[in-house]
Amino acid sequence: MEFFNSHLFWFLEGILFCLLLAGFKVWAEDRHIPMPFWKWLLVIGWVVFAGFTVAFIGTSLGEREATAAAKGGILFGILTVVAGVVIWRLLMIGRRTGDNDTPADA
Amino acid sequence: MTTTRRRTLRAVPIKYVLIVVALAAALFYGRSRSGPQIIPHVHALFPGAVSVEGSNGVYAALDRHANPLGWAGVGSASGYGGPLLLLVGIDPDGRVVGARVIEHRETPLFFQMAKASRFLAAVTGTALQEIDYDYQRVVGVTGASRSAGAITASVRDAVANVANRQFGAQLPSPRRPFEFGVLEIALLVLFAFAIASQYLNGSVRGAMRWGCQLSALLVIGFWKNSPLTIAKIVTLLAGYFPSLRSSLSFYVLVTGFAATVLVFGSSIYCSHVCPFGAVQRCIAVIGGKNTRLPPWSVRYLRSMRTIIVFLAVLAALLVSRPALASYEPFAVMFALKGGLLQWFLLLIVVLASLTIHRPWCHFFCPMRVCENALQDVRERSIHWWRSRRNE
Repeated sequence: MEFFNSHLFWFLEGILFCLLLAGFKVWAEDRHIPMPFWKWLLVIGWVVFAGFTVAFIGTSLGEREATAAAKGGILFGILTVVAGVVIWRLLMIGRRTGDNDTPADA
Repeated sequence: MTTTRRRTLRAVPIKYVLIVVALAAALFYGRSRSGPQIIPHVHALFPGAVSVEGSNGVYAALDRHANPLGWAGVGSASGYGGPLLLLVGIDPDGRVVGARVIEHRETPLFFQMAKASRFLAAVTGTALQEIDYDYQRVVGVTGASRSAGAITASVRDAVANVANRQFGAQLPSPRRPFEFGVLEIALLVLFAFAIASQYLNGSVRGAMRWGCQLSALLVIGFWKNSPLTIAKIVTLLAGYFPSLRSSLSFYVLVTGFAATVLVFGSSIYCSHVCPFGAVQRCIAVIGGKNTRLPPWSVRYLRSMRTIIVFLAVLAALLVSRPALASYEPFAVMFALKGGLLQWFLLLIVVLASLTIHRPWCHFFCPMRVCENALQDVRERSIHWWRSRRNE
């Protein structure tokens, strides 16, 4: 458990977060999804909120509050999933159809 | 009896007869169990009492010289799941020495929340003329409105019993005020609009349905947290009829549900007034999908729902506690209050609502079982009436 309090953990998490966003950018370009600044704001906001949900569950379990972890996890999990679906549908706004959708189709 | 009528009676499936017999037996057992033992509670309020005498709602706690240490009065009021009995002890100086709930039929979690308001503790030590019965204050603290209201009303009833008989005081009537507020008005208006929309066509009808559902979501759901639950139906089945003065919304909901099924053939409450239905519809709009499940799984899930509802109602009648039958996640959705079962049910339903049309209504809702039963009664009655007219 000491690892999660170390600088190395946060260093690795920062690298993973950058890779996640870079990968997302490539993924959106492959699928011809335009990404103006407001879509980036929504995506980053959602990732932070999803991270908060995981952190809430993890810290509640760390405090031996299983009920809080379950209830909070369900509440924030529902909000994360529903917000994710809303953002997914917003991401598809302006998507060019008729082109090849996925690299596999190319 | 003619052949046609005989055939109509024979058409009643044996499973319906068995269900009715089982529920009637559970009801009889639950109601026939012995009532609460009051004397031990009087001893608990007056630890120095050697004997207890009395009846008809007032008990005297006597010391070894037969001098009264005080009196304990029994009070009752209608709660969420039925009557709530409470004992209040008053010493010879007219001060409350303590109050104990001796029987209730509330949902355990909400009853604990109502008790946690510390109303009973605050009453202790107060002169009986100075007790503050402002149950709205208790409601504001707990959110368990009906349970909290029943506790304060039964304390008032108990104190009035002792005060009027032992102290010669004439306390104000313990009757709760007639409750006709936002909830009752909203329900009446919503049912009126929902029924009116049945006679309209096209986009106006659809718009009225959206309007009703969103209004119900805000008022009946998030504001008042008072949707129709199976506990309300079981309360009536168990023979507990709450006071019309304090429970007008209860009767509007139950009557509106049953009457619209019997008249129109389907529940207008479910389609227009149920706030949880509105939640599912809004989530379905977000999800944008309408996946159809395989017919075998639909049949399986609906059969499971009927069995679960039957067992829940049976258990509630057996222990004579209607609130136990309520497994709906409505309180979690609208007030973030409920057990873990309700939290997990909410998770399943919300996620499923993204892709499946109203999964709670189709596969979990106990009111849909009631609706099906009423529809069956309606169809059989119509069939019986037509066959009788044709003779």
